[in-house]
Amino acid sequence: MSARMPDGPTRAAVRDRLDRVTDPELDRSIVELEYIDSIEIDGEHVSVAFTLPTAWCSPAFAWMMAVDARDEVESLPAVETARITLAEHMHETEINRGVNERLSFADAFPDADGDVEAVRAELDEKARVARQYDAVETLLEAGLDAETIVDLRLRDLEAAGSGANTAQSGSTEAAIDDETVAIYAADRSFAVSVPVAPLESYLEKARETGLVTEPDERLFRTPEGEPIPLDSFDLVHRRGRLAQVNMSSQGGICDGLREAREGRLEKTADD
Amino acid sequence: MYQHNGEEIFVIDGHVHLWDATEDNIKHDGGEEFIQCFYDYHTTFTPEERQWDLDEYRRYGADRMVEDLFSNAATDMAIFQPTYLTDFYTEGFNTTEQNAELATEYPERFVLNGTFDPRDGEDGLEYLEELHEKYEIPGVKLYTAEWRDDSKGWRLDDEEAFEFLEKCQELGIENIHAHKGPTIRPLNRDAFDVKDVDDAASSFPELNFIVEHVGLPRLDDFCWIAAQENNVYGGLAVAAPFAQNRPGKFSEIMSELLWWLGEDRVLFGSDYALWNPDWLVEEVLEAELTQEHRAEYGVEWDIETKKKVMGENIAELYDIDIEAKRRAFQDDEISQQFGLEDHYASEEPAAADD
Repeated sequence: MSARMPDGPTRAAVRDRLDRVTDPELDRSIVELEYIDSIEIDGEHVSVAFTLPTAWCSPAFAWMMAVDARDEVESLPAVETARITLAEHMHETEINRGVNERLSFADAFPDADGDVEAVRAELDEKARVARQYDAVETLLEAGLDAETIVDLRLRDLEAAGSGANTAQSGSTEAAIDDETVAIYAADRSFAVSVPVAPLESYLEKARETGLVTEPDERLFRTPEGEPIPLDSFDLVHRRGRLAQVNMSSQGGICDGLREAREGRLEKTADD
Repeated sequence: MYQHNGEEIFVIDGHVHLWDATEDNIKHDGGEEFIQCFYDYHTTFTPEERQWDLDEYRRYGADRMVEDLFSNAATDMAIFQPTYLTDFYTEGFNTTEQNAELATEYPERFVLNGTFDPRDGEDGLEYLEELHEKYEIPGVKLYTAEWRDDSKGWRLDDEEAFEFLEKCQELGIENIHAHKGPTIRPLNRDAFDVKDVDDAASSFPELNFIVEHVGLPRLDDFCWIAAQENNVYGGLAVAAPFAQNRPGKFSEIMSELLWWLGEDRVLFGSDYALWNPDWLVEEVLEAELTQEHRAEYGVEWDIETKKKVMGENIAELYDIDIEAKRRAFQDDEISQQFGLEDHYASEEPAAADD
């Protein structure tokens, strides 16, 4: 083994890793959603406790979050093990045991049919569609038209600074700063600078879902993963908006349930 | 009839239950978890001063139901949607037979729906025929995520389900309400996945498929399917109470529904006793779309749309003659009980000034 840091990770580093874990249904960080109850660091061993909005949250979703939290925290060089504890969930025993003993979902839940990867893939695809809406809005606001947007390829994106390495490295001609990206359009005859965040966020999911990996591949797709026919541009964009409304509505339900449950537990504690 | 800006709106609550979740009736942990989950939904969206306590929520009984639905005339009629859950509750949670207690007492006010479960095979087909014979059910409510022994759910596009849909068509049971709502407890598979409605709706064009809870949290899948299948409808139960505590979100969901489905295919439902129509109807009718959404979607939540969504659309599906009902309610038992005779007798009011 390589040399380890003597003092383990910082709290900030652990938090930063957990911030990358999303609630797969809402596509929002579990840190931002305030699911994390505690982080304890004991040298190279980290313990994370979290609670979901209701005890009835899908066990498959809870499993994904617990596994992702474990893997993200353990990806820190200063961490030897991460122990994850889900509280107040109807399947907390199976999930905590399964995740900490590194079982597969199917082994942790013998009465489930198969694994959770198909569920994860479907939710990733929805997150990709919702993120595409923001990315496309950004381009429309920058003045690009539908015809240009449906034809964009990965190679037409060029990152500005080193912190935003969106496509191929190398070109910094159109660089303005770390927060913008150059979009080359019309056979690279001109470039437009746009905020990088929505495009980076989109690309992250587009890559995760295996849709856009090669420089020549079309950047934006229908929800089914196909290139967008020009005459369907508006409809596909509407579907992206709809995917966002779906996620934020469900987020509203989850927020409400979390508050209701906190209220109920506080009331019980007062009695 | 709800009085709104000088106009009267006939309200048909498309989604009500008479349930029993008392501890005596619970036979599986799932039954207790289920009612606790309902109760969290209840307290999340109900104004604080209108919240019930858990004990009355477990079993409220027929009298209270009639009063909650009809006493202030916010609701004029209601449609029972059964939820059996017989693996969780000894006598079932909310069966057709339990609902029939009230529906047969007030046949003018209630519509009684039945159900089927394709996993019951021949017995299930017989039961469906029995329900049809005994109660003349015009519709069924289906709960695809219901547990049955080792099975944690079924799909509307299963071959077995198609046999039951064929039977519905044969018997003239035209309204197929599918619960496609918040995930309660599937394991890995999504038993409330809405995609199975697609194939069923295109295979049975003469049946109406009402997707309850507008598919939330699968609003996107639902709207996309409904945009292509014109016999697919959206029931507002669970989406409606957003009007009370998240009006901006309600505006956005409603705008999406009106844009994708149009004003003829969205149906009001309170989901009573999850939420009481006596406050919910008012919240929904007084809700407004934001300027931003109206401009973005080009849709309106105006008086004509409200009349359709709150009653006319579902009246169409269930062959309810609203004007005849209004006349009948001038002296029916419920109007007498709550002193509403004048309410229904009033002349059609003049059009609003504005």
